[in-house]
Amino acid sequence: MLGTAKGRAIAIQVLVVAIAAAALYVVGTATAANLKAKGIPLGWDFLFRPAGFQIAETILPYSPRDPNWWAAIVGIANSLFVSVLVVVFASFLGLAIGIARLSPNPLVRGTARCWVEIARNTPVIVLLIFTYSIWWKLLPQSTEAWHLAPGTHLSLRGLVLPAIRWEGAAWLWWMALAWIVVVAAASRIAAWRQAATGVRPPFVLASVAGGLLMLGAAALSASDGIVVEFAEYRRGNFFGGWQITPELTTILVGLTFYTAGFIGEIVRGGILAIPRGQWDAARALSLRRGQIYRLVVVPQALRAIVPPLNSQYINVVKNSTLAIAVGYQDFMTVMGTVINRTSHAIEGIVMILGVFLVLNLALSSLMNWYNRRIAIVER
Amino acid sequence: MAPIGSTRFGEATWRAFFGTPLNAALTIAFLGFAAMIVPPFLRWAIWDAVVFPAVPASCEARAGACWSFVVAKSGQILFGIYPYDERWRPAIVCAIILTLLGMSVRPASWTKWLAVVWGTSMAAVLVLMGGGVFGLASVPTSAWGGLPVTLILTVFALGIAFPASIFLALGRRSDMPVVRIGCVLLIETVRGLPLLSLLFVASIMLPLFLPDSLLPDKFVRALVALTIFAAAYLAEVVRGGLQAVPKGQFEGATALGLGYWSTHFLVVLPQAIRVSIPALANTIIVMVKNTSLVLVVGIFDLISSGKAALADPAWPSPSAETYLFIGALYFALAFAFARFADFLERRGANAR
Repeated sequence: MLGTAKGRAIAIQVLVVAIAAAALYVVGTATAANLKAKGIPLGWDFLFRPAGFQIAETILPYSPRDPNWWAAIVGIANSLFVSVLVVVFASFLGLAIGIARLSPNPLVRGTARCWVEIARNTPVIVLLIFTYSIWWKLLPQSTEAWHLAPGTHLSLRGLVLPAIRWEGAAWLWWMALAWIVVVAAASRIAAWRQAATGVRPPFVLASVAGGLLMLGAAALSASDGIVVEFAEYRRGNFFGGWQITPELTTILVGLTFYTAGFIGEIVRGGILAIPRGQWDAARALSLRRGQIYRLVVVPQALRAIVPPLNSQYINVVKNSTLAIAVGYQDFMTVMGTVINRTSHAIEGIVMILGVFLVLNLALSSLMNWYNRRIAIVER
Repeated sequence: MAPIGSTRFGEATWRAFFGTPLNAALTIAFLGFAAMIVPPFLRWAIWDAVVFPAVPASCEARAGACWSFVVAKSGQILFGIYPYDERWRPAIVCAIILTLLGMSVRPASWTKWLAVVWGTSMAAVLVLMGGGVFGLASVPTSAWGGLPVTLILTVFALGIAFPASIFLALGRRSDMPVVRIGCVLLIETVRGLPLLSLLFVASIMLPLFLPDSLLPDKFVRALVALTIFAAAYLAEVVRGGLQAVPKGQFEGATALGLGYWSTHFLVVLPQAIRVSIPALANTIIVMVKNTSLVLVVGIFDLISSGKAALADPAWPSPSAETYLFIGALYFALAFAFARFADFLERRGANAR
């Protein structure tokens, strides 16, 4: 049987399965014995017991009386909050850095180069701890806070921003939803008309602009639409507004600095990947400058940019776990506290692994879908 | 753009900085920003700073950076809690590893001998650090710290992960469904997880999973997590290289009567690895930086020993200076390696 290639293949696979089964058996019996010997309970009922610990900064409502599963969700929300903000800030900054790296001005080019080299060659955790340490050195007491802009204060207490709150009626949400449906339908009809007649009617632009105007008018006419709340400073404390702790600010600043450096290099590579002939050909077709960017340069640059950008965004989600280094309570830190308090280590770690796998797989399939949309259609 | 034929230096420079209105505005804005940031930083870091004498009193007198702390504590930051009288051993270990890294940079030195030298040196490194033989005092891994820990973790994790990654990459391309699915699952799971969670699994879960007799100590557990992490990422790099090898190479090898292993080890892999050297170098830089995460599971790497040094109540705890020093160490390692990766990339581009 082992004489044929097929026989060997079957034998190897049986061997692999046998080794895996044996390893699982050893781990399984050892785990059972260890759990019994150490008196560690197993089961999911701890999720429904009160968490009993504070989470200093949350975007979802939370109190220590809430159950552990809600604490976990609050932690996930905190992680996502950090990740989304860092992705947004770092994308814009990275775009600027990528363009600055190609600037004819040596001063601009050199500054961007320094940024990229520091970000790429220093561990994130060192950047975070360093940022956190100078925070306490540079910033003033809250009594002498730096007033950067109206309603924006920076001090040892953290960053205080004006809060923008939505207090409109529910029908506005339904209106926004209807608008999205109309825009999607308009885009389908426009594509269908283009296929039939060769001319693309400006339905999409019209529906987007019309919808925005209507929504804006509705939001303004609703008596309590968008409310901007400025923080008030009374007796050494800030009241109201949007207060961000030093820990969260450190995470945001550090991770954004780090990620923007990487995205800058990706953007630069994407722009450099477009051959000069594309510019010349577009000009020969007498396209206007805006059209050259929109129809020729950006679509091709995106092809080179999106796949590595995808892994950078996933890296942001993974790096957000480093919040533990400065004490911001993200999902990992919250679960660490839950594990310490309930000693359900196995269940807790399974939850950590499961949540991060699901998050990263969801993010990468979203980006892959976008990548397929912009990829070259080979004929 | 400067007109062709204009070679006057001053004119070209003027154009670069003030050629267009946008450029001029950018130059002025950047200069203004630099004027705000650079002088206070230089005043803090150099003019108002104190380096010698390296005693606590020197820092209280000056407003600037307290470099004398870094000077006085450099031994503790670099070598952690390693016994004071034995510090020459981690110092030699660092020297050995850095020298070997420097020697391995020249592509001309990539021979079988290099592997032999690395193997024997790593054995020597373990003996030097751990002791217990040749009259060296025994030092447990829990007392290892600082730069040698960073270097040892990097070198050992990559040294074990690279061969493993080749087998993972081959397994992912295998015709055998069980092997392929197993490799895909392992690679994609590890790549979908933060390194921090793997380190937690290694430090919290492994003691539950394994019988006490099989359980390695904390240092080895962290090393295992780093190795598995590195292997998954390297496997994808190697797979990319394998995909770049033309099909004709496989067919040619088969026509010569070579079997699976001979085809891969004699024909395909040498070409695949040559193609993926720049990507491998980039992954190595990422791993150098990643070793810094082991502080979270209680290994005494550079950051932890820096923190421990800062805890000395006799000093005013100059944390910014200490972390700048540690950051500079990492930067020097990673930057040197990045320049090396650039060199390899240019060399590969020229060779083709």
